[in-house]
Amino acid sequence: MVLSAGRKEQKEIAVSQEPDLQFAELAATFGERYTESEFERAFYRRDLAAVPRWLERMLARTLPDAVARPRNAEEVAELVRYARAHYLPIVPRAAATTVYWNSVPTRGGLVVDLNGLRGLVSLDEERLTATVQSATRWGELEAALNRRGYATLAYPSSAPSATVGGWVSMEGHGIGSLKYGSLTQQLKRLRVVLPSGEILSATPESSPPLSWFVQAEGTLGIVTQVEMVIRAKPETVASHLLAFPNPTTLQRAVVALATVTPTPFNIHFSDAAHLRLLQNAGFALPTEKPIGLVTFDGSVSQVAAGTQTLKHIVASCDGETLDGSRANLEWVERFASLRVKRAGPTLLGAEMWLPLERLADYLAALARLANAQRALIATYGTVVAPKMAMVMSVFPSDESRVIGYVLDLSLTKKIYDVAFRYGGRPYGIGFWNAPYLRRAFAPQQAAERFARKRQLDPLNIMNPDKAYKTALLLSPVFFNLGMDTLARARRAWSVMR
Amino acid sequence: MKSFNLGLDQETLICARCGYCQAVCPVYAALGWESTGPRGRIAIARQAAQGASLAAEHARRVYQCTLCGHCRAVCPTRIDTCDLWLDLRGHLTANGSLARWQVGKLYHNLISQHNITGDVPENRLLWQQNLETEIEGLNLQPGARVVYFLGCVAGLYPQTQGIPQALSQILAKAHVPFTTLGSAEECCGFPLLGMGLENAAADFARRNIARVREIGASILVAACPSCYHTWRDVYPRLLSEPVDLQIKHASEFLAELLTERRLNPQPQEMRVTYHDPCDLGRNSGIYDPPRQVLQTIPGLELVEMAENREHALCCGGGGNMEVADPDLVAAIARRRLAQALETGVSFLVTPCQQCKRTLANAARVERARLKVLDLNEFVWRAL
Repeated sequence: MVLSAGRKEQKEIAVSQEPDLQFAELAATFGERYTESEFERAFYRRDLAAVPRWLERMLARTLPDAVARPRNAEEVAELVRYARAHYLPIVPRAAATTVYWNSVPTRGGLVVDLNGLRGLVSLDEERLTATVQSATRWGELEAALNRRGYATLAYPSSAPSATVGGWVSMEGHGIGSLKYGSLTQQLKRLRVVLPSGEILSATPESSPPLSWFVQAEGTLGIVTQVEMVIRAKPETVASHLLAFPNPTTLQRAVVALATVTPTPFNIHFSDAAHLRLLQNAGFALPTEKPIGLVTFDGSVSQVAAGTQTLKHIVASCDGETLDGSRANLEWVERFASLRVKRAGPTLLGAEMWLPLERLADYLAALARLANAQRALIATYGTVVAPKMAMVMSVFPSDESRVIGYVLDLSLTKKIYDVAFRYGGRPYGIGFWNAPYLRRAFAPQQAAERFARKRQLDPLNIMNPDKAYKTALLLSPVFFNLGMDTLARARRAWSVMR
Repeated sequence: MKSFNLGLDQETLICARCGYCQAVCPVYAALGWESTGPRGRIAIARQAAQGASLAAEHARRVYQCTLCGHCRAVCPTRIDTCDLWLDLRGHLTANGSLARWQVGKLYHNLISQHNITGDVPENRLLWQQNLETEIEGLNLQPGARVVYFLGCVAGLYPQTQGIPQALSQILAKAHVPFTTLGSAEECCGFPLLGMGLENAAADFARRNIARVREIGASILVAACPSCYHTWRDVYPRLLSEPVDLQIKHASEFLAELLTERRLNPQPQEMRVTYHDPCDLGRNSGIYDPPRQVLQTIPGLELVEMAENREHALCCGGGGNMEVADPDLVAAIARRRLAQALETGVSFLVTPCQQCKRTLANAARVERARLKVLDLNEFVWRAL
């Protein structure tokens, strides 16, 4: 087995380092779909997060010992049983589209690359359900359903790459959630490989129930197949791009639109700073005011009714409707939120749940923070429930400038602090948001999560170090002290510059 | 859609690693390792930008790319990935001979014989030997209004010589005053660009342009989408000046001839599917003219594949990959063939000589009941 780890790292991985013969068993079983090549393994040590290598080395051993690419649940189960027998950390990974290291190893071990589990398995046109393999991209699922006259109820804003299983493992809120509810409500059955190696057909009534695996971030099992509710492909779609004088009127409109009948399929919003960031990135919109993008879908009459209602609300909130073709373009671009990265080259930020009624207060507080820190903090979001939004607040940075980048990392914590003040909480924990665990979950909820983990994964082999505990250096005391100090330094630095 | 390339250093930082590219990459679909998709290639490019020396494994991954442009089409940060891959290949070439060992024979053929096969230039005339009717002024005819630029694949591979035979007879039948560069034609230079050799490619461009100018033609027609893209989009950039010719793909030219009723195809009661070549579709934006040509043929039913136009799957034949990794080309072609077979048609038509080769080979190996024809061949059959 090829390992490049230094002495310290080799010591850390003792638990996962088994004799070559054991790994050779996997090599024999999986053949070309298994690798211990250092060259190949190195590509599995990252997700979207830009983490300086020195920090990464300080906190974790991200280089897996091996990577296997199973093709079905039985092969996944074989890998899990192997890992269990050898106390080997096992990390499920498909598109790896989060920024929290949900699918990045922290103790080496075995990465299970699930991308071989792709495609629509079956369609039940009577019950209106689809069964899909877990690494199917939402974009490809939607296209496959559309060709047959159907559609998904909701999908993530990263649908072109985000996988069905990945979204199940996160919270599953995104585009369409306002109208059709969270993904949990749409799931009928999950096929999950448990840490014991057993394959469970999880339903709302099974033991453990399906709901345990939603938002578990791949720590309780590996989802290999998903049965979900679908709908007939909507007859038509209409988007409206709206501009408002200020965050207060934006909030008023968004709150009103979130509860109208017919319910919009989606409501997206951006603050003025986000429009500035888009402009800096080369994608200017025809306004500098806060905007909303409201999309209705369904029958022609439903969409017409929605459009009529929208007009009244826009007028009562002093809003204006912008060019229709631009609205359609922005709807097409709903998967391209990362285009602002061109104003970076790095983008840092915080993704959170936020009560809609606190949106304007949150934006005002964020503006004060941005002013104090001399930063351009841009906010956009999607309304995912009548009273809640998923909000992303981002700011440009440059990971190639070490000092500036480290100082910038502290600003992320300050943004979360503002969000907590207004009833927000992080969306996704993984490794990096673990310092916020106590603020993200109520004590009873956290205790329940712990109990599930202990029950299903007593050896803690399934995606360890994610979602439950913080690494020592990220424990809230150290983390808060360190980040607040860095934030003060950043502020002084920005004033000096 | 506007795309950017601010160089390896900047673009590899801008890449969000979102994986949109990976989801559509034909190479990743065939090989499956993270290193084989565009996201992996960007990671390699990042190392190159930071001055790391790249090993043979890195170079292999860099060359395992068909330059199909699907990654560019979906990139939310708008990286002009195709341009970036060429820059990366240029970096490999500039930093040693790594690039050349994988495509060494191709490089040697291009430098020694100015074509991709290493044939003597006179072999470019072999396709003319068994034309159904004799055509006058076929080679370097001064004063011809149209020059038909064959490209190496159509001119030199026996499997695709039916394409120039078909197109030249179509042009003759429509009374188009045309000629070819005959044995004086050189490779368009795109394979050299694919090795990161811009200067060498520019030399090929200058010589080809000079020969067309000597004839005095005002229109250049290319049936090869890569040649077409190179003449239309790459030559002006390489030479920093416009090419003072109307550059048309054969499908555009045929569509015009059919619209003007200079060609009258006979009814063809059949169902066909159409494959969008990457260099004609995604990389040149030509989707409708070849479809118009097919739809002008009475009785023909065009059945689209599940993924078509800007979402069309690649056939595997681009980016010098046939030289770098022929097995991978075959694997990618099989995937597209499977999608064609899902349509249930008997004919697959494509306006590209390389797509025809790769897909016809796949159909032969898989013993598929599907006939693969170039658009020109198909039209000639219908006349």
